[in-house]
Amino acid sequence: MSKTTAFSQRNLKELIRDPLSYLFCLGFPLVMLVVMTLVNNGIESSTADLPPGAVSAAPTIFQIDKLAGGIAVFGLTFLMLFTCLTVAKDRSGAFLMRLYATPMRSANFIAGYMLPTFVLGIIQIVITLAASLIIALIKDVELNVGGLVLSAAVLMPTVVMFIALGVLFGTMFSDKSAPGLCSIVISLASFLGGIWFDADSTGGFLKKLCDVLPFIHSVKAARLTCALDFENVLPHLLISTAYAALLTVISIIAFKSRMKADLQ
Amino acid sequence: MYAVQTKGLVKKYKTKTAVSGLDLAINEGEIYALLGVNGAGKTTTIRMLTCLSKPTDGECFVCGKNCVSQMSEVKKLTGISPQDTAVAENLTVTENLQFICGIYEFSAEKTAESVERLIKLFSLEEYKNSRAKTLSGGWKRKLSIAMAMIGEPRVLFLDEPTLGLDVLARRELWNIIEKLKSKITIILTTHYMEEAEKLSDRIGIMINGELKAEGTLSELEAQTGEQGLENAFVKIAEGGKE
Ligand SMILES: Nc1ncnc2c1ncn2[C@@H]1O[C@H](COP(=O)(O)OP(=O)(O)O)[C@@H](O)[C@H]1O
Ligand SMILES: [Mg+2]
Repeated sequence: MSKTTAFSQRNLKELIRDPLSYLFCLGFPLVMLVVMTLVNNGIESSTADLPPGAVSAAPTIFQIDKLAGGIAVFGLTFLMLFTCLTVAKDRSGAFLMRLYATPMRSANFIAGYMLPTFVLGIIQIVITLAASLIIALIKDVELNVGGLVLSAAVLMPTVVMFIALGVLFGTMFSDKSAPGLCSIVISLASFLGGIWFDADSTGGFLKKLCDVLPFIHSVKAARLTCALDFENVLPHLLISTAYAALLTVISIIAFKSRMKADLQ
Repeated sequence: MYAVQTKGLVKKYKTKTAVSGLDLAINEGEIYALLGVNGAGKTTTIRMLTCLSKPTDGECFVCGKNCVSQMSEVKKLTGISPQDTAVAENLTVTENLQFICGIYEFSAEKTAESVERLIKLFSLEEYKNSRAKTLSGGWKRKLSIAMAMIGEPRVLFLDEPTLGLDVLARRELWNIIEKLKSKITIILTTHYMEEAEKLSDRIGIMINGELKAEGTLSELEAQTGEQGLENAFVKIAEGGKE
């Protein structure tokens, strides 16, 4: 067995044996799917009372075809949290020290943190999108299965991006301060990712901020793919891929320099 | 060739000299106890010998290999059980051991053989399928030492192996350490007099980063004219203040 495989297996076990990670990574997105669908029901039925002839409201971003991509990205923010906690906890005890004294190298550590969380990310997306499909069937909303499958693929760079962020925060901050910091990022990402409101209908600074950050591009790439609107996907996909690459490089540099500092 | 040798070893942190001019020469097969109060520089010494920290000055060797320039050789020769028990909490005892085998890239047969041997040696049978986080301090420490033995080290470093254990767990761990005796060289740190007295062939007394005295118990008694390690230690420590 290779060092990276051994460390990946250990990290996977640590993650999946922590009931909180199920609750947040799998349970919470599912709950949000259901809750937001119910919210959407409320909005729809209130507009249904409009007098005949009034323009009926356009489908909201809480309709399942829009919601699916947003919640899939939202779920990944929790993957970031758990990646971050794994790294920060390992650092806080003597566990990493013990491994530093073995033939493990920094590449084994980083790959060992990223591989299992990547697998979990894929599982999480598949479950979220499958649940979305079920809701779409129940609600009789058109949702293309091929589009859903492709949007899972389009979200791969976003999985990498959130994992890289998790490794970065886990490397930079202690296991005490990391959770707080991650929850700020979770709130920011879900807000500025346009998951809970239609960012395009806003303007000015808020819209600019959304566009500069990667989150809305991940959400839009998934939503557009879901809607089979492939022409407009590419720019968003490119931006989220670039962010994934950049953050991966930064997190590797951060981990390596932390390891070097630990060994002074 | 010495199992462990240091020559004028120094470790300085910004404001603090943790280890100052340490000269050690430990023979193969010996159990050597580094005895000192908290902050004496024991952990820092062990960290330098296991490539976890770089000396500010001086040199250190494990089985003749330089701990700075021949790091990968030294890592193969050493095993360490850190002061804070470092086990993977959500993994079972067996899985923890298998995990370390994986890090050393053992084959499946060698992994099975090593895990079985160490579970037996440390009497971990009863707990082999228990998650590490459910183990008591004593069993966790045993697991931690077993993990340090996987890489088949020639020199084993045990940093405060019985810290925080109850009397019975401590006795049991002493028995295990005695079983390992002569098979490999063991350097253990402790601030318990009776532990150094009971287990070690030779004792080095560290005070403020310096090795103040060294020898077998009777040698230390003879040097100080005192009876028992505790009295000898106190005499040496007070002498250091002058
Ligand atoms: N990373 C560090 N930075 C600054 N000072 C340190 C560091 N590690 C240890 N020290 C200091 O070095 C001294 C020796 O510490 P240590 O080797 O841990 O002692 P012991 O293990 O004997 O209790 C202590 O005063 C400790 O505060
Ligand atoms: Mg110590």
